[in-house]
Amino acid sequence: MTVGGAIADICLVGVGAVGGILAKELASAGMKVVGFERGPAPRLEDYAPRDSIKFIARADRLDWVRHEPTTSRARRGETAELRYCTSPLNVLGGALLHWTGQASRYMPGDFKVFTDEIQSGNAGRAGADLRGYDVVDWPLGYDDLEPYYERFEWEFGVSGLAGANPFAGPRKRGYPVPPLRHSARMQLFAEACIKLGYHPYDTPAGILSEAYRPAAPFDGRIAERPACVYCAHCNFYGCHVHAKAATLYTTIPVAVETGNFDLRTNSKVFRVNVDDGGKATGVSYFDPDGQVQEQKARVVILAAFVFENVRLLLLSKTDARRFATGLANSSGLVGKYILAHGDVRAYGLYDDFIINGFIGPGSAAIRIDDFNGNNFDHTGLGFIRGGTIGTSGEGTPVGRMDVVPPEVRRWGKEYKEYFARYYTRTFDLNMQPETLPHKDNRVDLDPRQRDRWGVPLPRATFDFHQNEHRLHRFMAQVGEKIMRATGASKVWTGGKERPNRWAGGTRMGKSPRRSVVNEYCQSHDVPNLFVVGSSVFPTLAGYPPTATIAALSYRTAEYILRQKDW
Amino acid sequence: MESKSERRSVLTVIETRILAAIADRIFPATESPGAVEAGAVEYIDRALAGDYAEFLSSYRKGLRALNRHAREKFGGKFVRLSDADKDAVLLDLEAGSVPHFKRSADFFETVRCHVLEGVFGEPRYGGNRGLIGWRLVGFPGQQFGYADAYINKPVDMSPVAADLPQDRKE
Repeated sequence: MTVGGAIADICLVGVGAVGGILAKELASAGMKVVGFERGPAPRLEDYAPRDSIKFIARADRLDWVRHEPTTSRARRGETAELRYCTSPLNVLGGALLHWTGQASRYMPGDFKVFTDEIQSGNAGRAGADLRGYDVVDWPLGYDDLEPYYERFEWEFGVSGLAGANPFAGPRKRGYPVPPLRHSARMQLFAEACIKLGYHPYDTPAGILSEAYRPAAPFDGRIAERPACVYCAHCNFYGCHVHAKAATLYTTIPVAVETGNFDLRTNSKVFRVNVDDGGKATGVSYFDPDGQVQEQKARVVILAAFVFENVRLLLLSKTDARRFATGLANSSGLVGKYILAHGDVRAYGLYDDFIINGFIGPGSAAIRIDDFNGNNFDHTGLGFIRGGTIGTSGEGTPVGRMDVVPPEVRRWGKEYKEYFARYYTRTFDLNMQPETLPHKDNRVDLDPRQRDRWGVPLPRATFDFHQNEHRLHRFMAQVGEKIMRATGASKVWTGGKERPNRWAGGTRMGKSPRRSVVNEYCQSHDVPNLFVVGSSVFPTLAGYPPTATIAALSYRTAEYILRQKDW
Repeated sequence: MESKSERRSVLTVIETRILAAIADRIFPATESPGAVEAGAVEYIDRALAGDYAEFLSSYRKGLRALNRHAREKFGGKFVRLSDADKDAVLLDLEAGSVPHFKRSADFFETVRCHVLEGVFGEPRYGGNRGLIGWRLVGFPGQQFGYADAYINKPVDMSPVAADLPQDRKE
């Protein structure tokens, strides 16, 4: 199928979470959309086996990960090492295939960190050291996104309970399906939090607690999906019953059905083309046979992962002075201020309680936001911001084999006896501490390493800095305190200093000098170029980015459709 | 995946023996079977012929260095040492204190992980024979789902190693 003749309305680069939403919205309105996905269209047997060797032990060996490496280093001056980042998936449907399903909206305050923390004097009272950071407000607020959060929740089927979280922003509508079934870890955590005076609630989850099909005023063309069966193979796995929300089997089939969506898998875009007037004219790409092809379009949308959105803008530099350092980069901020959560955990084991942590999805979780954002008094703490705290999942023995208290040797008879007794008797809390935008954290093009097409790899330079270090320590202490209150026989803390849940690199803002795109994800410099995804986040918040990414996608689609003459 | 009968080991007989002796110390047979009985060595050998091929040379070098260290420290081949002496060699490896073997701690960690994968992984990869690993810890395997949350009670389901064909029965 080809559509739109020589010039399509839209070139959509990346058909994952963002692209899957944009394709449906734009193609349904009659726009001729050509979608480029650098990975293949996966089959059920590719993504849904409940196979912990394939998806946990060897997660970085999946073709969908291996084909598109990045390089990474902690700081400038170091040589970046090849890295197979498992956050993005280079496959139709993208990372929503293997996400955990945690579908929290950001809180209203998460969009105005500068106002709330710096202008208000909160950072000063906290005694925070913010050297090297550039803390800013978003150009839009919670109220602007609220209707689009709702679209996401009701089209993808988010389980939850309105009003359960006193720190959440106001909402016009409840959730389409109730919270997921409670597990042992949820029960123990909730009881402990109540005892401590905190405010536990059921995490909104992109996993259906009941069979669901959207109905008017939402998109009734989306197929019905069944309820979760609680197999617990969510994080890093695809869902074998499709209870977990993913564009692959919700919005993408609807987009294809319109007849306006020309989906090209195994097609890798390597450049956005521009004319002398500074307008985008389309993209150049490698087709499945590795041949260079060109597609013209009136509008180009970059809807890839953080690293790739940045990489494409940098690769698309031209001789013209205004694009000499990359497309849409007059601010010099393309690739700057990338963000990622730290991984802080508190573990507990129980002599007299069986947890059976291999049952139930990780996003069937109880969380508290008492220590998120500025929901708590930071006076004298030495840092600003916080993070959500909740129960974590991934229960197979392969996924849990290193969940061992520090004093137990991790091999030998002692280990065997420990693991045989306690495998079913542990769980952990997962903290999602916010990382502030720091000037040293960035993505650029690796000067040495190239991919199999000869294109320079994206190079991430990322480290946690002083505000994160202090916050991580604090979060670990809070987690430890809650774990003790659950009645655990033993408690310990840990976590890898490993960044995950990436954002930033094409930050949005009002000023073309201080941001790459505006509040509609539209380039300040190239008006018919959009960059959509977590790469536009100016700050991170203490939640996963997914719901906010989806909401921005719906809002951007509506904006594009409102403009008549592209 | 290659058929079982045609597959040949990538490790030599001697390497296989040393690896088995290590696996037996990492996850020993006690009153219950250990890593060797679970097929962890077979798991690793298969992996080194496939997804983990990049580790093959470090296995070769590492196993040789371990054997050399066993001889220098205790005057015998690793496989012949007492359990206590084997553990002493492995502890040196884990601590990174084997002479002329700079990355011995990394090697130990790699082998430790692979052995445990061979105990607890899905049997189609060659380990976890008879679901030994899953039975030992009480993991019911690749269940389609769970009708009950089993809060503070043992799960009364026998472990299964079932993949998608069953799932597709509507």
